[in-house]
Amino acid sequence: MLDQLARQIEALLVATEAPVTVNRICELTGCGTESAEQAVLRIEAELASGGHSIVVARLAGGYRIVTDPELGFIVGQLFEGKRHSRLSRASLETLAVIAYRQPATRAQVEAVRGVNSDSAMRTLLERDLVKIDGRQETPGRPLLYGTTSRFLEYFGLNKLEHLPRTNEMENLLKLSAEDIERLASELSGEESDQII
Amino acid sequence: MSADTQRACRIDIKDFEGPLDLLLFLIRRDELDVTTIHVAEVADQYLDYIRKAEDLNLDIAGEYLVMAATLTRMKSRLLLPVERDLMEDTEDPMETLMRHLVLYKAFKEVASELRENESIWRDAYATTGERERYQEDITVTDPGQTSLLELLLALENMAEKNAPPPRHRIHKPLLSLTECVSVLDKLLPFKTAKDFSEAVGKDADQAVVVSFFVAILELVKRGWISAEQSYPFSDIIMKRKIERWEMNA
Repeated sequence: MLDQLARQIEALLVATEAPVTVNRICELTGCGTESAEQAVLRIEAELASGGHSIVVARLAGGYRIVTDPELGFIVGQLFEGKRHSRLSRASLETLAVIAYRQPATRAQVEAVRGVNSDSAMRTLLERDLVKIDGRQETPGRPLLYGTTSRFLEYFGLNKLEHLPRTNEMENLLKLSAEDIERLASELSGEESDQII
Repeated sequence: MSADTQRACRIDIKDFEGPLDLLLFLIRRDELDVTTIHVAEVADQYLDYIRKAEDLNLDIAGEYLVMAATLTRMKSRLLLPVERDLMEDTEDPMETLMRHLVLYKAFKEVASELRENESIWRDAYATTGERERYQEDITVTDPGQTSLLELLLALENMAEKNAPPPRHRIHKPLLSLTECVSVLDKLLPFKTAKDFSEAVGKDADQAVVVSFFVAILELVKRGWISAEQSYPFSDIIMKRKIERWEMNA
């Protein structure tokens, strides 16, 4: 059985339209940060022990209750035809560059991908995964793009630091000529490339 | 088409996300060595692929050709004696290419990791019921009905919440293009003519008129009907030129 606070929080996490942050939970229930976090753990434990089909997801810096992804094949039927399709490879690559390089200009994205990325960019803006983050103060003042909290939610991330291989991707920028040469010589060696 | 060509292009150029992607594929397939000494081999394989794709009349984007030119230039440089001091300040194109490849490959890999995240989280559903139920509660004020004070208050509120400006509501068109076309299909039998105003009705809503007008432009473009006016701004006379039409064909 859940206690009163946990019940209140559970209700918030079910009804919310976007992940609720701990701060917001504290604001709405009047509890402290730690008790809120503890209560979320109790909710999770209760859901797990009861074998429920819903789970607490830690998304975009907050919590929300969602159906277990394993049951997606059942629940998805309710939304057949209404769901967004999966992102194209072009969109995913574009998004990856923006996510790790943000704020990034279109030119920076295209320099990495080696191809025009206009339509991918448009899709990402339309789907609210990417937003305009001001302009770069260089000639032409190109627009800068960054990811949205919807982006984090879409990929099940709690914060940007949880992106896969953040350190590795950061180091890529500082590679010396020798590093590059070594990495390039490994390009042919590895296992077959995953086709996304 | 030779068997060789078929083999080379069995993997369609459309399957690649650009020249870097194609290069990575060729490097792996043919176990090419991406170093200055072996750039000729890399260039040959790449050009070979592009040529064969051209033989098959595949549409090749400009970026692929730029890469072909870059590789060719690098290859030719290798064959010519190089003026050392000329080379010093220009960046080494081989290093640039290697950097591009390494970087692109890394992003390609994280993109595929994101793909895994996507497929898991696409299957997690959150409630949207409340959002939809309460959306209607937003009261819409008629233009001109808001006082300056209210605007300032709203602005202050927004600054406080640091919220993005409200989104503009875009209404769905009343009639889709397909709907208009199927209405016209019934109204306008083969080889008959009709006035535009008659087709849309006298008291038609502005949006309806626009929808039908767009539909007519589309039909004229497809050559299914003709449209004439006897003088500027007069009624449009539509004539159907084909017997059957299928919008999605």
